[in-house]
Amino acid sequence: MSEDLTKVRNIGISAHIDSGKTTLTERILYYTNRIHSIHEVRGKDGVGAKMDSMELEKERGITIASAATYTEWKDHQINIIDTPGHVDFTIEVERALRVLDGAVLILCSVGGVQSQSITVNRQMTRYKVPRIVFINKCDRTGANPMRVTEQVRDKLRLNAVLMQIPIGLEAELEGVVDLVTMKAIYFDGENGDDLREEEIPENLRDEAEARREELLDAASMFSDELMEAALEGTATQELIIEAVRRGTLSLGMAPVFVGSAYKNKGVQPMLDAVNAYLPSPMDIENIALDLDNEEAEVKTSSDPDDPLVALAFKLEDGRYGQLTYVRTYQGIIRKGDSIINVRTGKKVKVGRLVRMHSDEMEDIEASHSGDIVALFGVDCASGDTFCFDKINYSMSSMHVPEPVISLAINPVDSKAQGNMSKALNRFTKEDPTFKTYVDDETGDTIISGMGELHLDVYVERMKREYAAEVEVGAPQVSYRETITQRADFDYTHKKQTGGSGQYGRVAGYMEPMEEGDYEFVDEIVGGSIPREFISSCDKGFRKAMVKGTLAEAPIAGVKVVINDGASHSVDSSDVAFQQAAVGAFRQGYAKAQPVIMEPIMKVSVEGPSEFQGSIMGSLNQRRGIILGTTEENEYTVVDAEVPLSEMFGYSTDLRSLTQGKAEFTMEFAAYRPVPKNVAEEVIKARQKKDK
Amino acid sequence: MTNTELAGRNPLKVFATTGDGIRVDRRMGLVISRAGLGKTALLVQIALDSIINGRQVLHVSINQPLDKVRVWYDDILKDVVGSDAAAIMEQVNRNRLIMTFNEAGFTRPKLEERLNDLVYQNIFRPAVVVVDGFIFDESCRDLVSDLRELAGAMDLNIWFTAVSHREDERKSAVGVPAPCHEVDDLFDTVLLIEPDGDGSELSLNAIKDSTNSVVPGKVMKLDPATYLVKS
Repeated sequence: MSEDLTKVRNIGISAHIDSGKTTLTERILYYTNRIHSIHEVRGKDGVGAKMDSMELEKERGITIASAATYTEWKDHQINIIDTPGHVDFTIEVERALRVLDGAVLILCSVGGVQSQSITVNRQMTRYKVPRIVFINKCDRTGANPMRVTEQVRDKLRLNAVLMQIPIGLEAELEGVVDLVTMKAIYFDGENGDDLREEEIPENLRDEAEARREELLDAASMFSDELMEAALEGTATQELIIEAVRRGTLSLGMAPVFVGSAYKNKGVQPMLDAVNAYLPSPMDIENIALDLDNEEAEVKTSSDPDDPLVALAFKLEDGRYGQLTYVRTYQGIIRKGDSIINVRTGKKVKVGRLVRMHSDEMEDIEASHSGDIVALFGVDCASGDTFCFDKINYSMSSMHVPEPVISLAINPVDSKAQGNMSKALNRFTKEDPTFKTYVDDETGDTIISGMGELHLDVYVERMKREYAAEVEVGAPQVSYRETITQRADFDYTHKKQTGGSGQYGRVAGYMEPMEEGDYEFVDEIVGGSIPREFISSCDKGFRKAMVKGTLAEAPIAGVKVVINDGASHSVDSSDVAFQQAAVGAFRQGYAKAQPVIMEPIMKVSVEGPSEFQGSIMGSLNQRRGIILGTTEENEYTVVDAEVPLSEMFGYSTDLRSLTQGKAEFTMEFAAYRPVPKNVAEEVIKARQKKDK
Repeated sequence: MTNTELAGRNPLKVFATTGDGIRVDRRMGLVISRAGLGKTALLVQIALDSIINGRQVLHVSINQPLDKVRVWYDDILKDVVGSDAAAIMEQVNRNRLIMTFNEAGFTRPKLEERLNDLVYQNIFRPAVVVVDGFIFDESCRDLVSDLRELAGAMDLNIWFTAVSHREDERKSAVGVPAPCHEVDDLFDTVLLIEPDGDGSELSLNAIKDSTNSVVPGKVMKLDPATYLVKS
């Protein structure tokens, strides 16, 4: 890769499922000469699009795991991360956004801004990712890019500014009018390779003039020079491009492009826009935490002579062995270098350094600041930071949501058992939202994650990629327990069974806390509990919180304060105080009005307005609280908060209620106490299981 | 903070939407002022006052997205109750439903259909509807009149906001400024927000009331920083 960082673009392609982003990526690879023929996502040729490298993705026509790829366009180097569109895989989207500098938000010109686009946009805003918008599928019946642009303004609250207008729509789509050059562009040849520039067709001239005025008005807000030139009628292309770039980088503007990737129209100008308007690594400020200096924030530099800082943002265990995708934030990684995994402190040697092209690769000698590459055979987890030994930086931690649903899985035979372990080991390393453990009581392996589809895909992958056939139990919601009032405890653990006994007394109180899972406060004065046993008390409380007494669910949101106790010179020990703390916690917990909490999901259902009543009814029946409805052009979005336990099978019910015309997305919102009748059922179920 | 404490602290009780005064079951109310003087904030305070007094509120927003409306409630609740806002937010979420429409989509049949969807399925039974962003123009009389009829039929308090303009000096006989001067007969209560002489405070005048729930001639002050009604 070039060392001229101003010509590097790290971009994500992000959007609603089925808006055509994989097809668009495929076209990008074709026009940039990375591939030499075009295959469709669900194509009849059986080859599949380049970026959908997993078999399962090919079959379902959706993108699950991000595939990174490198390409070049007009003297610029572009790293593309293709990100999944389904909300269950948002950790993939979030990871991609963490390491990218800019993004292309793809919208369908028929479906417009849908609920998943809103989620993805929110994520982009969280990571302050500048973005351009590509309104795809303008060849489809019902295409209306102007309406979609309005939706981008209203629903995504982006300052969307049209940079092009389409020449014709639906089956009549011929090309685009570029509002900067004021030329019509047509895409000739079998695959739209040959761009032909013409005068704007007469019937579009007035509209193009009007839209260009809007563009100049919007861009002028970011450049006084352009504003002056526009007033004098002397705005040049350079001035417009510079102003739009400034607006985009400051997140004050989202330039909008139109086309149809499938019909090979509008892709090359969109690539020009990536170069012109999206940031280079030089334009983005990245912050690391200095672990040797109380995690002080440090700005990473793009100077190749500064020590290395790189983040492992994705692991893949494919046919080439373990691949670790890293983004270099500072310095250079060279083949043969020894780098340190900051989390483990272990030194690892960089054996092979490659640039990925979907599932093919190209060996390289070095990766410079701003680059995205893959390392071979490096042992690490997703989210680890690599440095040279001169510094001890960590890139700020990624937002990782807690899993909300779990599933018991059992291998069908001993061969499957081994394969399942291998698969789980890999998946948990790759995906921090996917967790697994063995239930001590039932011996079942439990997998947990962010939604039914999330777990479903991993079960499928186990079968396909590891030949691990497993039996799957019914999905279980991950409950939590918490307390609702302050309670005192004063517990003495005393045991005399021959030899030295066990003695420890722990007293204090517990109270609910709004944020965080657990806090331990030591207010012991006068040594009633000797210093060496304070940490034993902490350990004991933590142990007691693993399993609550109501649903045997983990306890969260408790602040424990110890202020008194007693010890014995011979019988007190670490174990005795741990036991005393467990006893003290249980004593206090019983008095602190404990409750069971369940995961509540933020659910967004979108469908024709005629079904609004049925949709609201269906959510209400599921103990949902309707937060609001948004009605526009015969379409309605209903937003609600619904307990996850009530959402199983909702997609089937929604389909039958709305003749398949509505769809929904959901994401975790919060844990909230369950109603009394539900708590009773959960407790009963637990008691039955115990018997 | 309990609901009673909160309700007691709320200076809006002078309008007796609920609480100690006369409980008005049917009313057409209007909050009118020039742009930027806090109409929406007052509307949200009326909604919150109703919620803490046990009534459900439908917030209709025309041309404003749902998230923006929610932010109004979050901000005002924080200003009113400070750190207790999170605890009360749960109650607000359960008793407030936001519906957003575009201008052309807001009609009596549409609103009535939506209300019936909610009421018949026992999802939500609003006693108060607040409508923000409604455009009062020459052709609005029929729709406002229809909505008045709906308020009567469904026992609703419906509150609207309207924007007046400095340059338009037209007023009705009772002092309701344009653009609502010709539809003031359709409203039972009209509240006018005006800046005081030096602009350091805002006055809230009850310029019309036929429900006997508002203290006649009552003038209250609004904090120009938060738009909250001062006691």
